Amino acid sequence: MRKKELSLIVAFDETAQAMGAERCFQDRGLPGRLIPIPREITAGCGLAWKAAPQDQQCLKEALEALSLGNCRFYVLEV
Amino acid sequence: MLEVNAMGDACPMPVIKTMNALKTLEQGGTVETRVDNEIAVQNLLKMAREKGHAAQWEQVAQGEYRVVITTGPQESTPQQTEATCPTQQKSRKNTVVVIASDRMGEGSEELGKTLLKGFFYALTQQETLPDTILFYNKGAQMSCQGSPALEDLRGLQEQGVELLTCGTCLNYYGLSDRLAVGEVTNMYVICEKMTHADTVVKP
Repeated sequence: MRKKELSLIVAFDETAQAMGAERCFQDRGLPGRLIPIPREITAGCGLAWKAAPQDQQCLKEALEALSLGNCRFYVLEV
Repeated sequence: MLEVNAMGDACPMPVIKTMNALKTLEQGGTVETRVDNEIAVQNLLKMAREKGHAAQWEQVAQGEYRVVITTGPQESTPQQTEATCPTQQKSRKNTVVVIASDRMGEGSEELGKTLLKGFFYALTQQETLPDTILFYNKGAQMSCQGSPALEDLRGLQEQGVELLTCGTCLNYYGLSDRLAVGEVTNMYVICEKMTHADTVVKP
């Protein structure tokens, strides 16, 4: 199993939001990747953006520009 | 002769360390690996058999084994390579993952591609990794340059997962010079891997 690392996890309410955010982040060259939402956050099924904890500000700004400012941010080892 | 100390190492580190040492012997030669359990011996012998290397082993002390692998055309004798440990070997299931498409499931192409990326990530998080991942038809794109799965696939390969991509498929899609991870294989090996597997997983 891959070694766990302290990460920033951005959780979305809807799958389409997560996929839209991925397109936006990649277009802007922002760091991170889309992953299945970690079990530590919810037992449900969904997508989340994983990046380094220090990337929170730039991602938050990009999300606000997409009117996705209500996304939930977590920092945990995944 | 190169010496590898894999005493105390958990699977698959003894095999990985030994393979790395073998790779440095471009002109052939011998690698001697020391391990502390017989399962590691079996794994090393299996790796040597599959790669066509000669192998010998002996128990040098309680909890200490010496495995000598020689690259080159020498054939190892059955007594040296066929030592078995049936109970432990049977408890280890041979799992093959088949990637036959560039997406997971039917329906939306965009969602299917996103799901497949998520599948590879989740695979890296499993306690028990598959033995082999086979890529064919459009799934062959996943092991090529530009694939969004390369980071995960390289991580899996480093942990001992065998990655095999269909050569016919690479040729058909014009990807023969773009394979980025793992090795090219043919239909005989694909068929053999699937028929010998205890479990075949097709996402």
